Amino acid sequence: MGTELVQGLKYLAAGICMGIGAIGPAIGEGRIGASALESMARQPEMANTLLRNMIIADAIAETTGIYSLLVAIMILFVV
Amino acid sequence: MFATVGKDLVFRFRIGPVYVALNPATLGASLGVALILIILGLWLRRGIPDDPEAPPSRRAAFLIAFLDLVENQILGGMGEKMRRSLLPLISTLLLYILVCNLSSIIPVPGMVAPTQDLNVTLGLAIFVYLLTHVYGARSKGIFRHLRGYLEPIPVMLPMNLVGDMGRTLSHGFRLFGNILGGGIMVAVTIPVLVNLLVRFLGALALAAIPLVGGAASFILNAFFGVFAGVIQALVFTLLAAAYIQVAAE
Repeated sequence: MGTELVQGLKYLAAGICMGIGAIGPAIGEGRIGASALESMARQPEMANTLLRNMIIADAIAETTGIYSLLVAIMILFVV
Repeated sequence: MFATVGKDLVFRFRIGPVYVALNPATLGASLGVALILIILGLWLRRGIPDDPEAPPSRRAAFLIAFLDLVENQILGGMGEKMRRSLLPLISTLLLYILVCNLSSIIPVPGMVAPTQDLNVTLGLAIFVYLLTHVYGARSKGIFRHLRGYLEPIPVMLPMNLVGDMGRTLSHGFRLFGNILGGGIMVAVTIPVLVNLLVRFLGALALAAIPLVGGAASFILNAFFGVFAGVIQALVFTLLAAAYIQVAAE
């Protein structure tokens, strides 16, 4: 195979990797944010604790998206 | 384009059988951040009045507000003794990562946030992992702490070890990926924007580039540099505190 084809396939692979990998964290963070807002509306006095826990949960849900970002970067620059 | 992300600035050499790769940009920036924080700490320390009864000066009030914030927001769910013993460590970690993340918005060529380098973030994560063992052994005794790996049944030992490894790796990768992704977004978007302007506006672009480029770099740096930097510093320290608390209880 020519190097140009390999280079093009790399770009394609990185794009697909990032696009599919972003779906899961997006759904997860949306659900976390929605439930946190619902609970805050129900119990406004708990808002500070809920916000803190929401940020932790968001960061953990984001991890898989970060993995796909790292894989995409590795496809582009390392392999 | 990616020279500003720091990938070109690596020295490789070998000492005996060991290959070493040093990134001078990361090394200089992380030591510079440490130096800034040491000077800031000494300067703030000198502002505390000698007489404990005296009303707090401005620098002492800043210190009190910052430590109160860390104690209530990050270490809020812990016992009094644990909170006291973790406060210096966690506030230092928070300040160091925060200043490291924020240093990416300084517009100096070749300046990168030290947390854009996996060596820095994974080093911090491994440091936190070793500390969980120190705190666990100190609060429960070393045998009871190690026996925790055989819970609930001894067959689960490899699972527990792999879980520890994955936790530490994701702890380091999370900070690295977020800050590196933000850096790449800032480095990629502005040249693309300038190209588009030149293509569609032609001669008028000369007038529009400073305006649009300035606004774009302000917005991108505000979101990816400041907002994401503060959130990720907070998340890293919150998770570090949570891991240590889990090991110690």
